[in-house]
Amino acid sequence: MSRSITLGQYLPGNSYVHRLNPRLKILALLLLLVLLFSLNSFAGLFSLLAMALLLLFSARIPFRYFLKGLRPILYIVIFALIIYLFFTKGGVVLLRIGSFTIESEGVREGFFVITRLITLIIFSLLVTLTTTPLSLTHGMSFFMKPLSKIGLPTDEVAMIMAIALRFIPTLMEESQRLMRAQVSRGADFETGSIFRRAQNLVPLIVPLFVSAFRRADDLALAMEARGYRLGAKRTRLHVDKVLPADLGTLIFVIILIAAAFYFKL
Amino acid sequence: MSIRTEKLTHIYMPGTPFAAEALNEVTFEIKKGRVALLIGPSGSGKSTLIQHLNGLLKPTSGQVYFDDQSIQSSKAELLRLRRKIGLVFQMPEEQFFSETVFDEVAFAPRNLGLTDESLAESVYNALNRVGLNAEEFKDRHPFNLSSGQKRLVAIAAVLSIKPEVLILDEPTAGLDPAGRQKLFNLLADLNSNEAITILISTHHFDEVVTLADQVMVLKDGRLVMDGPRDQVFNNREKLESLGLALPSVTELMQDIAAAGFQVKTGIYNLEEARREIGRMKERQF
Repeated sequence: MSRSITLGQYLPGNSYVHRLNPRLKILALLLLLVLLFSLNSFAGLFSLLAMALLLLFSARIPFRYFLKGLRPILYIVIFALIIYLFFTKGGVVLLRIGSFTIESEGVREGFFVITRLITLIIFSLLVTLTTTPLSLTHGMSFFMKPLSKIGLPTDEVAMIMAIALRFIPTLMEESQRLMRAQVSRGADFETGSIFRRAQNLVPLIVPLFVSAFRRADDLALAMEARGYRLGAKRTRLHVDKVLPADLGTLIFVIILIAAAFYFKL
Repeated sequence: MSIRTEKLTHIYMPGTPFAAEALNEVTFEIKKGRVALLIGPSGSGKSTLIQHLNGLLKPTSGQVYFDDQSIQSSKAELLRLRRKIGLVFQMPEEQFFSETVFDEVAFAPRNLGLTDESLAESVYNALNRVGLNAEEFKDRHPFNLSSGQKRLVAIAAVLSIKPEVLILDEPTAGLDPAGRQKLFNLLADLNSNEAITILISTHHFDEVVTLADQVMVLKDGRLVMDGPRDQVFNNREKLESLGLALPSVTELMQDIAAAGFQVKTGIYNLEEARREIGRMKERQF
C-alpha cells in the first residue's frame, strides 16, 4: 500500500562517514563527482568504485538498501548500456543481428558508462543515507549563502526546505492512516482504469490537503509565537565543527584529484 | 458468533533497522453482543490491534477469527468482512471529503454496492440513528458542523453499512462533556437495542467504562490483563504497576470499602456512587 522512499532516507549510525561534517560531505561529493566524470580509464574508475564500496561497507549500510537505492536508475542504466552497445562503433565485431552489430568498443564504452553511473549513485547514497535531512539542508544553505548577496532569501529557502523535509514522514503517515480509514469504508485505490483510480483518490487528497493546511497554519502561528521573523539572523544550537578528520578527508580528496590528473587516469 | 484472535503478532518494517514489534502473541475473544474496552498507554499497540480486526493490517504471525472463520486476505472476503465490522478511526472527522453530509455518510454503502433507493434509506436511517435529523442535516457541509456533530456524522458514516461489530478508536478524544455524554448514550443504545458488539480503545477512562462487560489491558504489545470489568478493576495494584489509574470514582469507592464501610466497589460513575453512598448512610444510621 505504501511505497517507501529509500533514496535519501537517513540510516542512523556512528561510522566515519556518519560523523563527517555535512558541509564537507557535500563538498567532497561534488569534488568526487567532478573527478568521476573526468576519469577516462577503467583503472581509475574501478579504484573509485572500490573506494565507494569500501565506504558503504564501513558505514554499515545493508546491501539491500543500496540495491533499493539503485532501483530508480536501473532503467537509465539499462538504456545507456543498450545505446552504447549498438551505436558505438569500433574494434572487433562481436555480434551481428541483422543490420545491427555489437562491436568491442561499444561494449567497453557501455560498461564504462554504467560503472560511472553506479559509482555516482553509491557516492550520493553515502551522503543521503548517513546525514540527517536537517544537517543536509543546513549544509546546502551554507553553500547557497553567497546567493544572498544578490538578494535571494537563502535562509528562508533553507527553512522551507527543512520544514518540507520534516513533514514528509508526517504526511506519509497521515496519508497511510487516511488510506486505511477510507479502505475500511470500502474505498478501492488499487483497481479500475486510470481515470477511475484518479477519481478514487479524492477521498484521500481532500482530507490530506485540509490537514496539511491546518498544520501549516498551526506551525506558522507557533513559529511567530517563538519570535520567528523574516530576515532575522538565526543561530544554531548544534554548530557543525570542522574536525581534523574533516580536513584530512578534504585533503585526501584533493590529492586524489591531483593524482588522477597527474597519472592521466 | 464472536471476534477472536490467536497469538496475533505484528512487526512493523520487519528486516530493516526500523523493525518494531507492535503486538506480541495477543490472544483474546469478544463474545457477540458484548462491550469490550481495550486500554493501555499510548504506543501500547491498541491502534495496530484494531486495524487487524478489520483486515487493514496483515498479522506477521497468528490469526484473527470472525464468527470462527479465519480472516483471509482475499479481496471479496475482505469486502464482506468490512460490511460486518465497522471501524471508527481516531478523529474520524478528519477523513471527511464530501460536500454534503449525505455524500459523506453514503460513501461506505455506495462502495459496498448499494443502489440509489436503499442507499438513501440507509443514509437516513444512520443519521437518525445517531440522533441527527436527516432532513435537516443531509445537505449541510460536513466541515461546518460542531465537533460533536462531526463525530456523530462520522459514526453514522460507519453505521450506514449496518455492521454487526463496531470498533471505535479513542471515540471521545477531543469532545466536550456534552458531546461525550451524547456519544455514550448512543453506544449504550446501539448495544442494548441492536445487540451490536462494541470494542472501544481508549487510554483514559470516562463514561464508557460503565458500558463495558470486558476489559483488556495492552502494554508494550502484550495483552497483560483480560477479564470481566469488575475483576480487572479490582486488581488495583496490577493496574497501577502498569501505569494505569482507576477511574477516580472507582478508586474512591474502593478506598471507602477498604476503610471498613460496607459499599459496593464496582462503581464507575458519579451517579451510581452517589446512590451507593446514600444507601451506605441508611445502613449505617
